[in-house]
Amino acid sequence: MSGWLAEAAPGLASIFALPFMRNALVAIAVLAVAAAIVGVFINFRELEFVSDGLVHAVFPGLVIGSVVGGTAGLLPGAVGAAVIAALLFTLLGRGGGGGSLGGGLHAGSVSARDAGIAVVLTGLFSLGIVLVSRSESYVSQLQELLFGRILTVTTAQLWQIAAVSVVAIAIVLVTRRAQLYRAFDPAGFEAAGFSAFRTDLALNVAVALLVVAGVQALGVLMVVAILVVPVAVARLITGRLLLLAPIAAVVTLVAGVAGLWGSFEWSLRGGVSASPGAMIVLALVALYGVAVAVSVALSRLRSARGAGREGGGRIAGARPTAAAQAAAAQAATNPPGATQATAAAQTRAGVCP
Amino acid sequence: MSDRGANAGAKASESAREQHPALELAGAAFGYAGETRVEDLTLRVPAGAAVALIGPNGSGKSTLLRGILGLADLTAGSVGVLGTSPEQARRSVGTLPQSDARDTSLPITVRTVVSMGLYREAGAFGRIGRAGREAIRRAIELVGLAPFAGRRFGELSGGQQQRAILARALVSNPRLLLLDEPFNGLDRENREMLLELVARQRDEGRTVIVSTHDLEIAKAACTHVLLLASGHEPGEPGHPAAFGTLTEALTLDAVQHAFHDSTVELDQHTVTTTREVDAP
Repeated sequence: MSGWLAEAAPGLASIFALPFMRNALVAIAVLAVAAAIVGVFINFRELEFVSDGLVHAVFPGLVIGSVVGGTAGLLPGAVGAAVIAALLFTLLGRGGGGGSLGGGLHAGSVSARDAGIAVVLTGLFSLGIVLVSRSESYVSQLQELLFGRILTVTTAQLWQIAAVSVVAIAIVLVTRRAQLYRAFDPAGFEAAGFSAFRTDLALNVAVALLVVAGVQALGVLMVVAILVVPVAVARLITGRLLLLAPIAAVVTLVAGVAGLWGSFEWSLRGGVSASPGAMIVLALVALYGVAVAVSVALSRLRSARGAGREGGGRIAGARPTAAAQAAAAQAATNPPGATQATAAAQTRAGVCP
Repeated sequence: MSDRGANAGAKASESAREQHPALELAGAAFGYAGETRVEDLTLRVPAGAAVALIGPNGSGKSTLLRGILGLADLTAGSVGVLGTSPEQARRSVGTLPQSDARDTSLPITVRTVVSMGLYREAGAFGRIGRAGREAIRRAIELVGLAPFAGRRFGELSGGQQQRAILARALVSNPRLLLLDEPFNGLDRENREMLLELVARQRDEGRTVIVSTHDLEIAKAACTHVLLLASGHEPGEPGHPAAFGTLTEALTLDAVQHAFHDSTVELDQHTVTTTREVDAP
């Protein structure tokens, strides 16, 4: 193992000394940190599908930008589309998260929100395709936008990526308390006087900006992976809030190095030009697979031990579902043979004399 | 336990003379998007009182609680909370919302959950300083969760979770506590413990409004009762059936009115109302 590493390490160092590989690595590193921080809240809020929607919504913006201003038009086009889409998705998801003291009458369900987003994202994606097919170098342009061009990231683009990432990080850090509260307890969050709309808009804009930052390097189809997969891995590895983002960033970085190196070696030795973006995502998914396997094995081991010792563990402490509660209340208070009753209206009372 | 209600009642009327009423409703109605859910509310809750909010589903208990927080629309009349508007009063109000919306899978500790009670004051960058940390520690200790402060919230039992959320409500030292069905799904032991905590808050002069299905809770921890009845037709707004001190309001007639399509049984100590689903 160490012999293999000793052989590989100088190879790696010399590969990443190449300017285009170094730029690619720096881009991945910046994106890794930003995506990890934003990704924690995507994970907490279960907004994976929303981020996918934002990715697709950015696509027509990229196309319009490149039609109007060439490569220089990509960023403004993407930012414009991203912010509009973020606003749209926030409005679609309005009132999501029910509860008694929060939520209220028009609490939109997740499925209603997702249906709306699906309509918008497919519509915008088609719009992008139609727009891009008007230009002459249709196929090569489409491929670039879909799969990114991480090996041709220029220094100017690096600065763009860094600037947009910093803004996305800042938005999430400024709203981190509101984001955490909203993710944990939307009803208490609203009752405490926080604005759900502003909090959601902030997160959606941050996600949209990161999509913009990542899309030139990784492409429309890959960028969502670095927002979603690394944090999923981190949640399997740690139960500590403050370790989630650092672990997720390291996961992306490891996958980035592995993916870049793999595609470089493969194209050098095998003559196959594997898309580095796709290789990075494959490496991410592989890491996720390993994390799942390890965590399943660990929990089997733990429950086997726990069962031996105290037989049952903490399942007794688990919160029963509302339905179970209602059923239990009914069973407890309903005299046998009574009319079928709603648990809600059953009242056992000690009346004052 | 029964004479504690009387004691606190006396204490409440003392403090009511020197403070604004905790809640003052005059012909108030609350709802959403122009649709009234609960109406005809005219009442004064003296500071230091503990009010049990009792009524069947659809009688507007949650809407009223949201109205007190300024989260439901006032569709008629007027509402005063702690002598000001609901929005202004919100920072002096602690809440324990229903438990079903919480995401217990998040990797956050009890201490973090309790600190959320200070997020509003601290803002985006304000540090939760030494005073804040001390308040968090005391609130956790108060609800008896000191040994669990570093535990993941999701690992606690249902009763412990409710106590942690109560600590979150108490950490900012509120004058008014709103508890929405806090006893749902708790076993007797946990319910007793939570009742005891609620009673202690009342004894310390906080006003408590607690919605519940359980009249036993009203008797054990409350000085006042507001009985809400649902509308005669489904979709009609709820309205008060009775409001007053325990003895005034908690009568068989009032309970029957609140649960109007119910059969009510009465023996020495127990009233059981069973609302029939297919009532004509």
